[in-house]
Amino acid sequence: MEVFRLMKRKLSLLLVFILLTGVLAGCGGGDVSDDPSPQDEVEIAYYAYNSEPILNWDPSVMFSNGIIVLNNIYETLLRFDPKTKEFDYLLAEDYSVSEDGLTWTFNLREGVKFHDGTEMTAEDVKFSIDRTMELGKGASYIWAAVSEIIAVDDYTVEFKLSYPSPLDLVASSPYAAFIMSKDAVENAEENWFENANEAGSGPYMLESAAMGDEVIMTTFEDYWNGWEGDHFDKVIIKKTSETSSRRQMIEKGDADITQSLPSEDVEALKETDGVEIVVEPSFTNLIGFFNTEKQPLDNPKVRQALSYAFPYQDVVDYAVGGYAKQSIGVIPFGHWGHSDDLFQYTKDLDKAKELLEEAGIEDGELKLLLTYMSGDESEKKSAELYKAELSKIGVELEIRAMPWETQWEMAMNEDPAERQDIFIMYWWPDTSSPYSWLYSLYHSEEEILFNMSYYSNEEFDTIIDNAAEISGTDIEKAEEEFIKAQEILIEDSPSIFMYDKEEVWAINSTFKGFEYNPSYPLVVFFYDTYRSK
Amino acid sequence: MIENRFLKTLKAKFKQFKQNVFLLKRNRLTKLAFYGVIALFLIAIIVPIALPSDIHVDQDTNPSEKLLSPSFEHPFGTDELGRDVFKRVLLGTRISLNTALIAVGIALLIGVPLGAIAGYFGGFLDEFIMRITDVFLGFPPLLLAIAIAAFLGPNLQNAMLAIAIAWWPWYTRIVRGQAVSIKERQFVKAANAIGTPSMKIVFKHVLPNCVAPLIVQASMDIGGVILTIASLSFLGLGAQSPTPEWGLMVSTSRNYFLNAWWYSIFPGLAIFFTVLVFNLLGDGLREILDPKTRKN
Amino acid sequence: MLVKNYIIKRLLLGLMVLFGVILITFFLTRVIPSNPAAQWVGPRATPEQIQQATVELGLDKPIYIQFIKYFKDLLSGNLGYSLRSKQPVINELKTYLPPTLELIFMSTILAVVIGIPLGVNAAKKKDKALDHFCRFFSVGAVSLPTFWVALFLQLIFYRWLDLLPLGGQLDTRIKMLYEIPDYTGFLFLDSLLSGNWVVIKDVFSHMILPAVTIALYPIGLVARMTRSALLEILSEDYIKAARSYGLKERLVLWRYALKNSLGTTVTVLALSIGYTLVNTFLVEAIFSWPGIGSYIATAVVALDYPAIMGVTLFSAFSYILLNLTADIIIALDPRVRV
Repeated sequence: MEVFRLMKRKLSLLLVFILLTGVLAGCGGGDVSDDPSPQDEVEIAYYAYNSEPILNWDPSVMFSNGIIVLNNIYETLLRFDPKTKEFDYLLAEDYSVSEDGLTWTFNLREGVKFHDGTEMTAEDVKFSIDRTMELGKGASYIWAAVSEIIAVDDYTVEFKLSYPSPLDLVASSPYAAFIMSKDAVENAEENWFENANEAGSGPYMLESAAMGDEVIMTTFEDYWNGWEGDHFDKVIIKKTSETSSRRQMIEKGDADITQSLPSEDVEALKETDGVEIVVEPSFTNLIGFFNTEKQPLDNPKVRQALSYAFPYQDVVDYAVGGYAKQSIGVIPFGHWGHSDDLFQYTKDLDKAKELLEEAGIEDGELKLLLTYMSGDESEKKSAELYKAELSKIGVELEIRAMPWETQWEMAMNEDPAERQDIFIMYWWPDTSSPYSWLYSLYHSEEEILFNMSYYSNEEFDTIIDNAAEISGTDIEKAEEEFIKAQEILIEDSPSIFMYDKEEVWAINSTFKGFEYNPSYPLVVFFYDTYRSK
Repeated sequence: MIENRFLKTLKAKFKQFKQNVFLLKRNRLTKLAFYGVIALFLIAIIVPIALPSDIHVDQDTNPSEKLLSPSFEHPFGTDELGRDVFKRVLLGTRISLNTALIAVGIALLIGVPLGAIAGYFGGFLDEFIMRITDVFLGFPPLLLAIAIAAFLGPNLQNAMLAIAIAWWPWYTRIVRGQAVSIKERQFVKAANAIGTPSMKIVFKHVLPNCVAPLIVQASMDIGGVILTIASLSFLGLGAQSPTPEWGLMVSTSRNYFLNAWWYSIFPGLAIFFTVLVFNLLGDGLREILDPKTRKN
Repeated sequence: MLVKNYIIKRLLLGLMVLFGVILITFFLTRVIPSNPAAQWVGPRATPEQIQQATVELGLDKPIYIQFIKYFKDLLSGNLGYSLRSKQPVINELKTYLPPTLELIFMSTILAVVIGIPLGVNAAKKKDKALDHFCRFFSVGAVSLPTFWVALFLQLIFYRWLDLLPLGGQLDTRIKMLYEIPDYTGFLFLDSLLSGNWVVIKDVFSHMILPAVTIALYPIGLVARMTRSALLEILSEDYIKAARSYGLKERLVLWRYALKNSLGTTVTVLALSIGYTLVNTFLVEAIFSWPGIGSYIATAVVALDYPAIMGVTLFSAFSYILLNLTADIIIALDPRVRV
């Protein structure tokens, strides 16, 4: 009996102990800074990212957020600056293009070392791009025009094209344009990339990667551009999906930089000392594609009516918290090919009703289905706001959240009646050219890929194909043509051009040197950054 | 003659019912729970009539009033698009109760006949059905519901179906147990002897005797089912925006947690209250209807 | 003799249930509405790439062949590849499992330490205030939506009292300043072994809220079960006999009654571990706890079917094994009649 009494007492003591320790642990959290730490001298940059930093380590194949990692480990021949519309020379020192636009010659930088110690030559460039094209995965199609790559000598590479293509833009693409060490990759064992290995020449090397959740990079001593001045010794990119956690990390100074926080959190951070909010254009825009093969959306009047019913300003203000601009045309602000002079719809419910009447649609007769990507709060709110607006003109909109692939499959259904009526998605360019939008989204397609409106207009096709070909040699003329093409598009209204997203960065005040380049979505080029004291 | 017998059984059942209600009222907690349940049902029936869900959703959307803290005008505050959270919580009552009742109903429809057949006919049929039941019971219910809902597709109807599929084995077990014991009773053997068709015996004798334990189990389950629906919606597998479902509201509120803490609290409170009330009721019913504890 | 037969029968039954579970999960994966090949290749795939993936993944073969492959894969531990990360699901499970196990372990301890005394006292003082409170508490604990409790606790302890952290396993600064020990893969255990008090405190403060959150359900369950099992036994004749012999009530309660009700409690505990595991799916994401709960929560939103299936299979297997173990233990105990 005594035993059991004792047992009960011991158990209750244990419980009290557990609870007490918990409370004490919470109270005593501030002692950390008192302890000496040998790592004080190492400067670490911390990027809190909203999903996995990288899932696929293969630079020829990787076609999603992994670029935030790979663009620090690997380099491309050129880097595009959308503000000046000019190119920075990275691995290439110079380049030229032939009269007919079919031969591009790149002069390579000498003395560039890869992380495995070998020096970069034309062979590495040829190997890298050949490999990317052969594998045929990811964004490899950007090199589609290339028929042959010749290593003329150690530091000169020639690209022979079968039709004109802006190879400088292609070579500076954030995807599929990385140069890797032929030595390392050619002789690599199977699954070398899957096991998180890299063969880059970039300023940072991979130190460790925890299952794609956290990537730690460290400086590459022999980087060709040297390490004069202030730089970070280590870079950590970590997955932190909860927005409240990311916000807290920035507030406390645990993380240096993050983006994609809800506008409410951004407003709160604006008031916080030690945090700076930087707003930049991104090249991502949200577009709502009408299923133009399904009645009554095949009637342009109906599509125009629906375009007049979209609450553009409300969506910008409330779905994105003000961090967006209503789109003008297909190409977003800040990107070449954008024109402020194009026609822009505004919310006008009366006009919308009028057009619906003209089209013969009765009040309450029209029922539509809109799909958006599940998990995206802004898309969801945009859809909900649109639904509320449409109910005011007697149109019933059903909104449905679906994972991207499911949504996409639904849109690719052979039978137009089985597809959704409105498909909303973000688009951003793989290569910094308006062709990326106009071709992928609106060019006639036999088998639909991303032309979710099923739009087909021969005149439009010809204009943009032509513009694409001359964009390598005459970028001004190309831009004119791309703008002309958008005029046709807006006239036909196969989509609602919703908004151009702005990228809102929350940055620690001591993190300096960051200048966002939207051609490289969400990428932080850490080499340019440093800690200020 | 048949009517007479029927009337007699009816009278006896009614007397028993009155007795039960009396016992129910004696236990204070159960009485409170009972009133709570009535209140919920009233809300579920009346509110959507006064305030049809879709109209509310469309007309109430007022984004400039988003995330307001609780006030007289908005007792629970507003959500991310300016909709009144109080109204949404009330509307959610109908959704939760409806879905739960249908899910349990379907589960009963599947489970009870299977259990009766297994118990009464025995033999290979019994083994077969019980093994299948065992397999389904090898999953914790929420897990199976998650898996099924994920593969059927995320919406409320599929969540309902998923729950029904996860829950039916429990009822089969109960009914089978009852059937097995009843099978041995004199009057059943007698009915058999005079050639009454088996199905008739099942329906007239076996099933009515299962009603009590089934009611207990089902009422205890409704709480759990409502919780499962909310959990599925929380994960993204049940109700979808802009449906005012409680679990979905708590999930959405996470994005605004640091700015509008009240948004997370109230829908969750609704879930808690509803599930609690049903659980208490079920608990009380069990004590009343279960002969063993009744002795005390 | 009889017991041995029972155990063998239970084992065979367990195996059969396992096979049935595999069959069901396979059936589910073949009812997929969307095209797994498309999902595999990624958002910007071309039709050729999708076709290539279809062949690579073996999706063009007849169903029974697919099942045989599926079964063989399972036996060799191959749970497929996550559609999002392209990593083998089994590897991801191995990485994400230890933190979840830690939480479950903690919560089980709490369930025993709080639940049993609660249930005993409720049975002892039946129908008095304590009993009502205990009943209310245990029913309440079982009625609480765990994800809501998580948010609520965060609200109180992080936002209002600022006592505990918002989430994660470790403070970022601590991770950078100290070497985090890695002996067993279980962070809390490792930190205890390393004796680094700062790290221990930090790990504990991160763990306490998620652990308490998922412990509520088992505490309520264990209390409820202990109480009702005890009540049943207390009405038995031999208890009356013991009492009439003048034995102290405490002895009667703890030595005789409780021991005999342990059978039910053990079963319930085993069941509750299974439920607790599933509860972590709802709670881990809120605390940014890097366990399989977060893993499946992300997989569900992305509809990453192999990952969902992997976690489902693992959870079901564990649940079945736990029940099996509980049944066998009970069968082996001579005092407990089967």
